[in-house]
Amino acid sequence: MDDALERPRHQPATTTLDPAEEESSGGEDGGLDWTKLPKIGTARPVIPKRGEKDFEPAPGGGSGLQVHVLDRARAAMFDALKADRAISSKSASYGIWCPHISRVHVTVARGIHFSVMGHSAARPTLIDDGSMKLQKRLELLPEEALYLIERGALFCWKDIQADLTGLDDVEGAPMSVQQAFAEIIGKEDLTLEKYQVFAYLRRLGYVVTRTDPPSPSYPVPSPRIGGDGASLSFYRRLSSIFSLFTTSFLRFWRGSVHWWRPLRISRWIHHDKSHSNVLKSLRVIPTGHSVAPHSSRATPVAPSSPYKIFYNMYKPSTNFRKTTPPQPDFQIVVINARTAFVPSLYELTELFNVLPETPPPLPRKRGTPPVVQSSPAAVASPVSTSTFRHIFSWLLPSTPQPISSQPRPHPFAALKAGKKNIVIAAVDSGNISFFRFSQGAFEEWPTL
Amino acid sequence: MSLINQTSHSKGSFKSSSRRAETARVYAHPIPIIFPEPTYKFLGLSLTRPLNPHCTAVFDPLTRSAWISNSGDATLLWQRGFFGKGDLSRSEPSWLARQINARQMKGKGFTSEEITAKRRAERKQFKLDRAKAMAAAAAEAETAFNEQGRVIAPGIAPDGTRIIPSAATWKPTSASVLSEQSPLDVAPGEEEDIEPIKDLEHLQLSLQEAFFLVWALDCLTILHPETNMSFTLAEIWNTFQNAHIPSSVPQLNAPSPPRFDNPFLVSYIAYHHYRSLGWVVKSGIKFCVDYLLYKRGPVFQHAEFAIVVIPVYEDPEDQANSPFTLQNAEPFTWSWLSTINRVNSQVQKTLILSYITIPAESRVSPTILSSPACFAHYSVREVVLRRFIPARMRD
Repeated sequence: MDDALERPRHQPATTTLDPAEEESSGGEDGGLDWTKLPKIGTARPVIPKRGEKDFEPAPGGGSGLQVHVLDRARAAMFDALKADRAISSKSASYGIWCPHISRVHVTVARGIHFSVMGHSAARPTLIDDGSMKLQKRLELLPEEALYLIERGALFCWKDIQADLTGLDDVEGAPMSVQQAFAEIIGKEDLTLEKYQVFAYLRRLGYVVTRTDPPSPSYPVPSPRIGGDGASLSFYRRLSSIFSLFTTSFLRFWRGSVHWWRPLRISRWIHHDKSHSNVLKSLRVIPTGHSVAPHSSRATPVAPSSPYKIFYNMYKPSTNFRKTTPPQPDFQIVVINARTAFVPSLYELTELFNVLPETPPPLPRKRGTPPVVQSSPAAVASPVSTSTFRHIFSWLLPSTPQPISSQPRPHPFAALKAGKKNIVIAAVDSGNISFFRFSQGAFEEWPTL
Repeated sequence: MSLINQTSHSKGSFKSSSRRAETARVYAHPIPIIFPEPTYKFLGLSLTRPLNPHCTAVFDPLTRSAWISNSGDATLLWQRGFFGKGDLSRSEPSWLARQINARQMKGKGFTSEEITAKRRAERKQFKLDRAKAMAAAAAEAETAFNEQGRVIAPGIAPDGTRIIPSAATWKPTSASVLSEQSPLDVAPGEEEDIEPIKDLEHLQLSLQEAFFLVWALDCLTILHPETNMSFTLAEIWNTFQNAHIPSSVPQLNAPSPPRFDNPFLVSYIAYHHYRSLGWVVKSGIKFCVDYLLYKRGPVFQHAEFAIVVIPVYEDPEDQANSPFTLQNAEPFTWSWLSTINRVNSQVQKTLILSYITIPAESRVSPTILSSPACFAHYSVREVVLRRFIPARMRD
């Protein structure tokens, strides 16, 4: 980084520009248009809107106009970077970086950041009478501290073991941003990529927390309640038994698949004679995520795999309580795009295993989605189950499953949303590319 | 209405809705089998027999495809399930119709291919016009700067309107349409018109499509290219697998140990899976993927999903010993995944990674490969891939 630009300086150079010149752009792509910045008294830098590349370079190194426009934009950029980045002393927070525990002990917490960052931890503290006592104090994780330091919201001193006499005696300068990066990256599993993802999402207003608590005092969402409720799970079990029964019953009735002639249209039964039934009878290949893929290796995912969920992410609109965090809106894996390959099926399966199932997009589906695939038999034969229901529906009058009364979501929307979602942030030297991998369920949404 | 007979862009809503009804009628059947309405039905029983057509194709080992030269069969397979591709057309075998059209109508009507060509020519013209307007605007701004030292916004007239045409405002001039007229309209003379045009086109089925029609739907017979004898199912099973054995000259029925990772089997698993779920499956080579899924068919709407078939070996040993190098069996780099996803989101398709597991030979005996019963040991799992844009997900 250029030190001359880094050092805050007052009195930004002013350029006089015609205000009418500034209406030339409005596109989405391209670099920052620094000329959009307010010209004088740039006390608080604002991230400018993006401009538009409005000409191709002329042959021979640019015309007079092009050079003029470029110079103007460059001057504006330097002006913006030269501006004083100041923070009111009333909103500055103070902290001490403790390398041995990889935490920042916040001694003075001010500002809105601490409503979603930092947690309290009990640490042995020297109290007034000279004895050590476990006392709760506010601590920041490395990424949280670095983010606040980088923003200029936190002044952080490095903890020196020799001097523990408290805040009043802290002397000297706080850590610079460079020092903070050098000290903090690498601590508590924080790679540069993970910090970049954290900072990017925080700047957008998301609340980002660790998925695996780095210490016992770190608050995490309460474990998910398995299933949807006792009665439903009872019904589920019942129907899975039924479907097992019907499967074997129908196997017996029709004989198993004849592998050289899979197409069987009954001579007599009218129900068989439709395109959808022909296609149903052709669904002979096992499908779906309910059964884990076979592997000849005991652990198909290497322990060194980078695909581990690292962050929980909450939308800005989510009501987030720091002490009792809700279930996250998204969960994120951060990887280095240059060293990691796209996850294998086994890695994805392992990720999906710990994720909750999301309901298909509105209009919502009925209470029990067709996820009754606890047994492989049920997966293999959705056909027979529905046939069974169709034929014997009058036998089950009190079925708690209104099959057609509620609107079904649009199949395309449901297919695209998938059932379980994981966000993977592929970071390539600072450029973050987010992808959403969802468990597809084409078998549940046949088009015919 | 078939694309072949399409005369012009529809003008009124009545016309377009009647055309839609005609399209729905022509392409009413999703598979070649037809079930006539039963005349007599009693207690869910009926005696109506399904009508299953019997088409004939010739296996062509060099192109790894099956050719249907009978135009009746070709039309039938295209209209009922969009199987195959005309070898002289982009999809529907419409070469003959285009030739006849070109002779008879002499530019009064267009086939769909001609309409596309016209649209492309117009687009090209639009881009040229736009580039010209932009260059002119830049030159004007340059002059204003040099002469008066003023910086003006290029491309905006003094009254605030934009001079540079956009796709919405640009209209083709009559000249650009005329210049595009296909050369076919100019050529034919009197004598040629009398001579009937011979249909030189055949419908070309991929091996996956052919096997689906032969095995799953039982409506196609495949002939040996040399002897013209019809293949038995077991012969087709072996022949189609051997078509992928790497050798300079593919040999029919060449003995070789069957393998679970035969490229034909792996791609057939994916093809069959989506066909059996009712999708119309077409090749996706133009979008860096293996298959495209259409809801009812290409004449009804654009493809919704793009499928990348990713074989997954249950046993890495099998992969190491394999004579085949299956596409996508090696892990993707992120840059390649981004490439595919970019291409497909550009054309409004959702990318689906379709993982096909290949049974380990240590788990399943390869003897089962002697019949399609081996299909029960493969499995298909989809993963939907979409870009996640945090800036737009904040709510």
